Amino acid sequence: MAEWMRNRTAPESRILANMRKHWILYLMILPGILYYIVFKYVPLAGSVIAFQDFQIFKGIGGSEWVGLENFQYIFSYQDFYTVLRNTAVIAFYQLVFGFPAPIILALLFNEVRLMLAKRFVQSLFYLPHFLSWVVVGGIVFELLSSQGVINAVREWLGLEQILFMQEQKYFRSIVVISAIWKDVGWGTIIYLAAIAGINPNLYEAAVMDGANRWKQTMHITLPTMFPTILVLFLLNIGNFLELGFDQIYNLLTPMTYSVGDIIETYVYRAGVLQGQYSVTTTIGLFQSIIGFALLWIFNRMARKTEQGLW
Amino acid sequence: MKLTRGDKVFQTFNYVFLFAAAATMLFPLLQLLAVSFSSPIAADSKQVFLLPVEFTTATWKHVLQNAELWRSFGITVYITVAGTVLSMLFSVLTAYPLAHKDFLLKRPVMLGIIVTMIFNAPMIPFFLTVRELGMMNSLWALILPGIIGTFNMIIIRTFFMGLPKELDDSARIDGCSDAGILFRIYLPLSKPVLATVSLFYAVGYWNTFSRAVLFIRDPEKWPLQMKLRAYLTSPEELASVNMFLGDYDFNTTTLKAATILFATIPIVLVYPYLQKYFVKGSMLGSLKE
Repeated sequence: MAEWMRNRTAPESRILANMRKHWILYLMILPGILYYIVFKYVPLAGSVIAFQDFQIFKGIGGSEWVGLENFQYIFSYQDFYTVLRNTAVIAFYQLVFGFPAPIILALLFNEVRLMLAKRFVQSLFYLPHFLSWVVVGGIVFELLSSQGVINAVREWLGLEQILFMQEQKYFRSIVVISAIWKDVGWGTIIYLAAIAGINPNLYEAAVMDGANRWKQTMHITLPTMFPTILVLFLLNIGNFLELGFDQIYNLLTPMTYSVGDIIETYVYRAGVLQGQYSVTTTIGLFQSIIGFALLWIFNRMARKTEQGLW
Repeated sequence: MKLTRGDKVFQTFNYVFLFAAAATMLFPLLQLLAVSFSSPIAADSKQVFLLPVEFTTATWKHVLQNAELWRSFGITVYITVAGTVLSMLFSVLTAYPLAHKDFLLKRPVMLGIIVTMIFNAPMIPFFLTVRELGMMNSLWALILPGIIGTFNMIIIRTFFMGLPKELDDSARIDGCSDAGILFRIYLPLSKPVLATVSLFYAVGYWNTFSRAVLFIRDPEKWPLQMKLRAYLTSPEELASVNMFLGDYDFNTTTLKAATILFATIPIVLVYPYLQKYFVKGSMLGSLKE
């Protein structure tokens, strides 16, 4: 008790004592902390070049501060609106079609009674998650090419061949469908975990009350999954505009820039390749701010009904 | 349980749908396999459907003799092995203190880490930071900037926290130090989760692409995915022979199919082990956290 009182009054000495006793723990975590500082916090702090006319040879210290000039510039710039619209539209489709897909699939898995069939089907569904977007992009191009199997089927049906990857109207659908194809199976894992945690007594009681499978799903399974769904939805909203560089980069061709060029691919070309560091950082920062604002709004709404993220 | 008529209809529909959808997961790879073993004429005239037409191994012979492809393969094997070992070391050493009951900085450090999951640094400052560190064109740029996957580290930490505390106490009474507890008790007990996370890291390194796009300009240092991408965008280089000057049993269609598979086969080979682990409960619980 006395020691506890002393610890309360002198927190510094408490940490020092802890360090002396468990010095090895502090040593162990040092590389990890360094990693997070150097590769996460330093670049985060480096976002200040959005408020500078950053010159690579002058560095952050020597470059001129320009206030919100870069923000004014991007908002007066036509390309920015194109890229922002592409990003937002694709993100919206991903949310509407991509987000519910693993929930529905998990519910369908849950209805499979034959364990062997379930495991077999699941292991096929998880596979594409482990392929790189270069590979998946290559697959998509090959299957949809003029020699590809899709056009073979069209020819067999007596339809004209379509060069899917070169036509703007198909690009966004291809992005959404290929993203679902790749990750829908993987996405079910977390929902299946939630379903596995449901007390079987609930179902037995429901059966006694005469509930059929549909009613059990609607009144037991889905409500139990709801907190998981909400958390994942909020995390999704926070990354709303971050579609993933790898996917778009590997599906995009100059012919589809006008509908498919997104913030990340644009920032790569204009920033990394052409050296417009400040302007592209401004766009990146804008993207993060939108993400955080959306997260904040939806989190407030979520807290009214359920628990939010914070 | 008695099945109603509606249940039976639904069950039938569900099986048909799930098996058909699952088939589409494998179909593209099998189709490419068939194309890669077909003659160029058959491949380009859309005759190939899941089975090779006019079977030939010419495409694969040409691909497997491609020294540049093997060099990229070697680079990818190297960063996969080195990267996975280093990532596991960093992750375990970070996870253990964060799971230790007496580590005072547990909460602030954990908070600092979670903040980085919500606030992602924009691409350009990240790029400039890594470049400032002199890692352009260095294979370190493919390993160090992502050496800890926060998600993976948290999986290990959650597993450590689930180990019974009595183990700690009795080991301490026997004179075991903090480090001794980690290496002699925690790690041997964590083999399944360590295997799972290692495989996640390994797959991540194998598929390394965007960091290579950002940091590796020298084509001689390109990892496999970069090389594959280059070949897919300019397949004439893959042929590396003038197709008009000779009579070849391959063309760019069959070569692309084989090269995509070349970069994929190692993943497909480890996949049975991979999925054996991650489907198990230990993973599921920790993902929920």
